[in-house]
Amino acid sequence: MELVAVVTVGCLVAIGVWLMLDRNLVRVVLGVVVIGNAANMLLMTAGRLGLGTAAFVDGGAAADAANPLPQALVLTAIVIGFGLFAFALAVLKRVRETHGTTDTDRVTAVSEQASPDASRGPQGRGVP
Amino acid sequence: MQSRAPLMGMSMLNALALILAAAVLGPAAARLLGVRAGWLLMIAPLAAFAWFAAQMPVVAGGGVLVESIDWVPALGVGLTLRLDGLSLLFALLVTGIGALIVLYTGAYLSDHHHLGRFYAYLLAFMLAMLGLVLADDLVAMFVFWELTSVTSFLLIGFDHEKASSRRAALQALLITGGGGLALLAGLILLGSAGDAWKFSELSSAAIEGHALYPAIVVLVLLGCFTKSAQLPFHLWLPNAMAAPTPVSAYLHSATMVKAGVYLLARLNPVLGGSAGWGTVLITVGALTAIAGAVLAIRQTDLKRILAYTTVTVLGQLVMLIGTNTAYGLQAFAISLLAHSLYKGALFMAVGAVDHATGTRELSRLGGLFGLMPFTGAAVALAAFSNAGLPPFFGFIAKEFKYAGLIAMGWPGWITTAVMIATNALLLAAAGLVFVRVFLGPRGPWPQQPHEVAPAMWMGPMVLALSGFLLGAFNGWPETWLIDGAVQAVSRGPVDVKLYLWGGLTPAVAASVLTLSLGFAAYQFRHALRHHLTRWRAIWRINGDWLWDRLLRRTFGFAGRLAAGFQHGSLRLHLALLALTITVVVLVALVWMGREPWRAFEVGRVSFAGLAGCVLAVAGAAAATVMRERISLIAALGSSGLGVALFFLAANAPDVAITQVLVETLTVLFLALVLRDAPPMTRVDALAPVFRSFRFWVAAAFGVSVAAALAMAVGHTMPGDIAQWYLANSVPGGHGRNVVNVILVDFRALDTLGEILVVALAALGAAMLLRDSGRSALRSGGPDSFGSVFLRQGLRPLAGLLLLVSLVLLWRGHNLPGGGFIGGLVAASGVALVALGFGVTAARQVLRLPPATFVGLGLGIAVAAGVLGLLAGDPFLTGLWMHAGSLPLGSPLLFDVGVFLTVFGAMLHMLFRLLAKEI
Repeated sequence: MELVAVVTVGCLVAIGVWLMLDRNLVRVVLGVVVIGNAANMLLMTAGRLGLGTAAFVDGGAAADAANPLPQALVLTAIVIGFGLFAFALAVLKRVRETHGTTDTDRVTAVSEQASPDASRGPQGRGVP
Repeated sequence: MQSRAPLMGMSMLNALALILAAAVLGPAAARLLGVRAGWLLMIAPLAAFAWFAAQMPVVAGGGVLVESIDWVPALGVGLTLRLDGLSLLFALLVTGIGALIVLYTGAYLSDHHHLGRFYAYLLAFMLAMLGLVLADDLVAMFVFWELTSVTSFLLIGFDHEKASSRRAALQALLITGGGGLALLAGLILLGSAGDAWKFSELSSAAIEGHALYPAIVVLVLLGCFTKSAQLPFHLWLPNAMAAPTPVSAYLHSATMVKAGVYLLARLNPVLGGSAGWGTVLITVGALTAIAGAVLAIRQTDLKRILAYTTVTVLGQLVMLIGTNTAYGLQAFAISLLAHSLYKGALFMAVGAVDHATGTRELSRLGGLFGLMPFTGAAVALAAFSNAGLPPFFGFIAKEFKYAGLIAMGWPGWITTAVMIATNALLLAAAGLVFVRVFLGPRGPWPQQPHEVAPAMWMGPMVLALSGFLLGAFNGWPETWLIDGAVQAVSRGPVDVKLYLWGGLTPAVAASVLTLSLGFAAYQFRHALRHHLTRWRAIWRINGDWLWDRLLRRTFGFAGRLAAGFQHGSLRLHLALLALTITVVVLVALVWMGREPWRAFEVGRVSFAGLAGCVLAVAGAAAATVMRERISLIAALGSSGLGVALFFLAANAPDVAITQVLVETLTVLFLALVLRDAPPMTRVDALAPVFRSFRFWVAAAFGVSVAAALAMAVGHTMPGDIAQWYLANSVPGGHGRNVVNVILVDFRALDTLGEILVVALAALGAAMLLRDSGRSALRSGGPDSFGSVFLRQGLRPLAGLLLLVSLVLLWRGHNLPGGGFIGGLVAASGVALVALGFGVTAARQVLRLPPATFVGLGLGIAVAAGVLGLLAGDPFLTGLWMHAGSLPLGSPLLFDVGVFLTVFGAMLHMLFRLLAKEI
């Protein structure tokens, strides 16, 4: 099972990076989600995949119970990942409203202004 | 011989603290008392001055006062203050002139709207300067040194509306700050070479023989020369005249510019043994003195004349330290004192003239003596001292300079010639300042002058009279001030004897020569200027011209360098990041020499897990090529569901449920944002070479992550932490759902941090989702939600979901569920209402705004932790009580906090999103 998980994580990470390297900001946000999923799977797998029973204790602990620690970690990570996704979505929305485009390269071009030092002399002349 | 002498409740530390208090109170005092604040604030430096003056008998007798406070004793970091002759001389100058300047400021800047701020800066500078001359620790001295640079920057740029002020302030900061960096390196080398971090413990034998000695000298000299405006670095000082006159009078004549000279004098016993030290000091000092004197004669602005003569005197002082002769060092101490007195007085008087007439231009001044008798008298006394006329203190200084230089033998004659020439020019400058301004015909003043307020002429008068009295009764300063200072500077005991007339010596001849040359220079000043002007080519390549070019080049270089890295392409940044990680991971794997595929067993494969993995990859892969928005969202959603299936197969029901719920909300959010977006562009419209680059970056990154994971999984897991949690869940946490017990009890502090992150992300996202103005009116929500049956069905469903969420919250400690899951379910329920009946209806259901739930949830979570604190245990310790057979505990309360935070955070974002996306 671990082998399957390893291959899946590799594929998901690659897809996520591919998406994040897109010019369209929408796909970049999707890439964030995919990589987040991959990271959660990676954490679960790194804690070994117990195929016995879930991490519930009734009377005594089962010998083949799943590792609860990565589960706790991943559970909060999912919710935090959603917070990050929502934030990225908000940025995407705001960028589209402000600049009328979701093209990452063009957003940089329209939103960045030349630094004041480059536009006028270092001595600050020309400013009353 | 060291002694502690607490006197009158004062100490060096208290003197510093007193001035600090005055600095802090300065703005308030100026607001409450207005112009009269100066009289109050000057008490601090005056008290310090009185205390230092009272220490003169101890120090003059060869005593040394030491005070120290430990800061980090384990590292040997502390603040040690040490008062010897040199420090005492400087401390008296800093506090004495400082008190007069504070008083003067009140009158000079009486109508300035930032007078309080000025007091704060000025007194903060005073603190730094006093600390600098008292500190015995190398590091503490350096800290004070830098503080003087920073406060000086603030003071020079005080009129920050003017571009010239800003430029001068920046220039001073860059030059002195750059020198400070060199000094820091020099002091560190000095401390490690001498194996001592106090001036008083450094031994010249250990350092002068050390291999690092040349490096130390070069670095320390760089620091001192920049601070004391020696030749290549002198240009910041005249430009610093952009500061208000009290600053020029205090920092740029009497105190700060002498910090470099102070440090040279302080280190002379330690570093001054080599021939190179003397040669460098004398050469640089002589060149500086000549340049300053020549430039001074060219000026027509009174303040700039004084600034360049200050450069000259600083050069002379550096020369005198370099002589290391008995006369030379005496001359150093004498002229240091003399110069501080007369230059402070002249600057303040020039400020008064400026104040009274409205100009500092020589051509518009003249005949002021009758109108401004007190100022005029003060200037006369100070100018005589400046010119080195007997019996003023400046005369003694001049005699000793010549004697000290002549004592050096033949190189001394050359330097004596420099000294004679520069002193002659100083005399001419003094003549300009007094004769041209106060005597002769009345000038075309811009405004009718009048005598200035007493607070303004008092400072110059006191300083100028001191210069006269110290010269006339020279036995007094010899005993109490000069002797101690000279002993501290010299490399061995020196016999100090001040006199006005020492018989017919070569020094007297030089002095006579100076006087006649000086008078000639004054008389023929117009011709002199005319001749100097003819070297136009030289004046054009002046320091400022070079400085501007240097600065522009530096900015240009930095801009090009930054543009190379900050190219503005998000994708290139990401690609580089991914490549870097790939390389680091792969190199680490190879370096560790373990094949990832070794010891790898396929093991049991669960069908559900396999299906989940396939679904996850297929969905994600579909999302890369889909262009239609609905299919894109569906593909991503199915990928997430596949992941949930995987979690379920891995026996993680809590995680799987969370994943499903979050996936639902993800799809909802994505749909809401994308619904008014244009269709997606083609996957990539770039050249094939970029596409293949992108492909290989992504593939390599995926391979490296997979390889790292495979390697990690291929080993047996060390430790038995999982077993510990499983074994302690029921006895320690009273819960059978181990994952939930970890979240709310064992690792509750982590969870608290995590819900805080969720809350902050939600608030931040909501801020961005807000606004843009066009949405405010249409917050009613979509009324066209398809069929009536669906809408009617929504209401009970939402109620059911809320109930279920509460059940999930309650049972979470023992069965799948808990605060996170419950919060998400409840949020889904309210989300249904919001979708079906609009945000307004949903808000009515909630009664409180979602952000309040977030705050409430965080508050409850923290309160649950504080309960443990109140019981005397660490924060977030679980407390349990049994209501009948029902175990109740603070972890359950904590889970309620988690529930409310997640619930509120999700709805907070959703409402903002819905309110806009109509």
